[in-house]
Amino acid sequence: MAFRRGGVRRFSALPGHYGWYVALWAVIPALVFLLVWASVSPALVTDQVLHDPAAQALPQFDFARASILSEARHIARGDIAAGFNPLSTTLAPAYAAAQSRFDGIGTVLALILAFAGGAFAYVRVRPDFRARTRVERIVMVALLAASLIAILTTVGIVVSLLFESVRFFRMVPITDFLFGTHWSPQVIDSSDPGATLGAVPLFWGTFFIGAVIAMAVAIPFGLMSAIYLTQYANPRVRRWMKPILEMLAGVPTVVYGYFAALTVAPAVRDAAVAIGIQWASSESALAAGMVMGVMIIPFVSSMADDSIAAVPSAMRDGSLAMGATSSETIRRVLLPAALPGVVGGILLAVSRAIGETMIVVMAASGVATLTLNPLASTTTVTKQIVDLLTGEASFDSPKTLAAFALGLTLFVVTLLLNIVALAIVKRYREAYE
Amino acid sequence: MSDAPVPARQPTDWKTQAMQRRIRRRYAAERRFRLMGLAAIVISAGFLAFLLVTMLGGGLRGFTRTEIALPIDFTKAAMIVDPDVIAGGGDVADRALANAGLPRVTRDAADQAFGPGAERWLSDGAWLSVRDAIKADPALLNKRAVIDVPASTDIDSAAKGDPSPAATTALAKLRGADAIHTGFNTAFLSEADATDPTVVGIWGALKGSLLTMFVTLLLAFPVGVFAALYLEEYAPRNRWTDLIEVSINNLAAVPSIIFGLLGLAVFLNTFHLPRSAPVVGGLTLALMTMPVIVIAGRNAIKSVPPSIRDAALGIGASPIQVVFHHVLPLALPGILTGTIIGMARALGETAPLLMIGMRAFIATPPSGLTDPATVLPVQIFLWSDEVSHGFVEKTSAAIIVLLVVLLTMNGLAIYLRNKFETRW
Repeated sequence: MAFRRGGVRRFSALPGHYGWYVALWAVIPALVFLLVWASVSPALVTDQVLHDPAAQALPQFDFARASILSEARHIARGDIAAGFNPLSTTLAPAYAAAQSRFDGIGTVLALILAFAGGAFAYVRVRPDFRARTRVERIVMVALLAASLIAILTTVGIVVSLLFESVRFFRMVPITDFLFGTHWSPQVIDSSDPGATLGAVPLFWGTFFIGAVIAMAVAIPFGLMSAIYLTQYANPRVRRWMKPILEMLAGVPTVVYGYFAALTVAPAVRDAAVAIGIQWASSESALAAGMVMGVMIIPFVSSMADDSIAAVPSAMRDGSLAMGATSSETIRRVLLPAALPGVVGGILLAVSRAIGETMIVVMAASGVATLTLNPLASTTTVTKQIVDLLTGEASFDSPKTLAAFALGLTLFVVTLLLNIVALAIVKRYREAYE
Repeated sequence: MSDAPVPARQPTDWKTQAMQRRIRRRYAAERRFRLMGLAAIVISAGFLAFLLVTMLGGGLRGFTRTEIALPIDFTKAAMIVDPDVIAGGGDVADRALANAGLPRVTRDAADQAFGPGAERWLSDGAWLSVRDAIKADPALLNKRAVIDVPASTDIDSAAKGDPSPAATTALAKLRGADAIHTGFNTAFLSEADATDPTVVGIWGALKGSLLTMFVTLLLAFPVGVFAALYLEEYAPRNRWTDLIEVSINNLAAVPSIIFGLLGLAVFLNTFHLPRSAPVVGGLTLALMTMPVIVIAGRNAIKSVPPSIRDAALGIGASPIQVVFHHVLPLALPGILTGTIIGMARALGETAPLLMIGMRAFIATPPSGLTDPATVLPVQIFLWSDEVSHGFVEKTSAAIIVLLVVLLTMNGLAIYLRNKFETRW
């Protein structure tokens, strides 16, 4: 304002915008350069070390060569005191020298770029220069880039899972994996790895624990809780009970897992033994599934809550006016009308349950059996992923790669469940709007 | 159209016995249904209460530790160490103490004080307390001193009222000598993992969690808020924006273990970042938390009324100024609430961190973002796998700490929401 009153020409942006403009020009090119430099300079450093006289003694074989070079790099950085190979110790000074030389070059170039960028921007600053537009364009790019990270993550998941799975399916035929009924990755016959990597018992176990036992607990409790809270409870009870139910979803899964393994599973076993079933497993599907069901209660409850609330009140009022009792109204009018929403919610809950890891890792067994018996031990896809990847096996063995194939299957199934569930919920909402 | 006469319907006689019975049945069904609803709620809440009570019951004992007052005569002990070197401090002193044969000295002192076999009453980590005492006061080396050292797991649980036959006599002897007491276990809150349950602590894991959460917040918050702003305020409606929206909604529903596989394949195997480091854990959890923040952020931004935007635009603000000067500050409480809830979820997450190798045994708290570390939920998982029964109460105690942290975070979120929420 001050400059305008003095009769000076109008500035086309606030002073701060000019400052930002210069600062961005000074920082961004230099940062971009440093990023590029960081990825290029190791190769340049190695190249210079290879021209060092001491490097003539390096073996020609790629693997030995690379390991000595990497050792020399660690010695030069001070990570380790001495190398396994004496050659690496002699190469270390050359490495340190080359490293510091290229670091110096990089720093100087970055500083020059920063100065040049800043100067270029500073020279352009004039009263009629539209600094605001320029700065805002960069902010816009930053916003767009942030939202693209979501796509990048999705692509990253799909690509990394697919890449490792394809490597797996080169060793193990996909039909063996998807339709084989024998799973025991501890004993893999290298001539026919597919024979012991049939994942059907895992798919069944996952479905049995996550979609049958857990839902047998979660659906009645979740649905009845939602009905009671929306239709019967007075507002004060509702205000208190809703957060308490939601706390069930906030308890970390590792706590549920510990609880399932330490308290529920022995109790289930003792109860089974007490009624005469001697062979009941202490890692039964029932214990893991029940605890998982409890964890899912709030999901089912809040989805059911939403769908019941979306039913037009005219339908409810009409039913009550005809003389139906509240429970008759709920069972004959509200629930049928809300059914698509409830089913969508249940599908979401199932997708959540089959992706749940810690409860089954801690409470379910690692033995894959194809059984309908809830007291027998069953394993799941997630449990096997954890078991496969925490072993000692190298990263190229079918055993480790199988984890990625299982991960891909899990990803695809949960994705499909979610898409179907969201489509059902959406269509149902539109029907009443 | 038929012309058949419609028989005149008799009005229902509600007074007949059959009708009365029918009404009674319907009312009974109504009461049953209502009771079932109530039972569902009560059982669900009861399960939560049972879970918390079980953890509290087992875990509170984990916060106490039994210590034995052990008299040691350093002048007669078979150890070669120069008090001046210790007084000098630094690495030299640490090395001298590590090589001084303190474990032997401690065990001998126990046998001397309480009779042969008493060395088994001490924790395997008892000599660490002796070392720390000498470090704190090197003058001890020239005299006879009484140092409190942790008791073994057997003695510890016996003193807490869960005795085994062997421990009972030992306990009686120690009580007779007035050399035993159970007190608050400060080491539990200041130490890291160990092989002996009597000297473990959760500070290492807690610090790992804090570092990991720091990385997660640093990445997920700005990216999540920016993405929410873009999608809600600027994005044109086209196929690209739809794609972004679909991927965000799907990412929010992807099982957490898949993010672990992503972290393993991308951060560890492709970029060769260090295993078990908080920075990798933070990156992985950030990818998982970001969709939560975006969704919460969009809802908060949506609830800012358009009149605010129109007013700002009307007096000449640019679209960026409208958003950063007006919309964002008004939506921030909602965004923060969503962020805290997302962070709480990330803090309780275990599975993806197991995938990127954060399940190693780490005996020193991490001092930087690239040091090997573990986090609180993984520590709980590791302790729950231990065979020594002393770890049971420590696991429950760690669970209590985790739940308290989570409860505080959620309480903060609720407080923020209530304090700053604006109803337009």
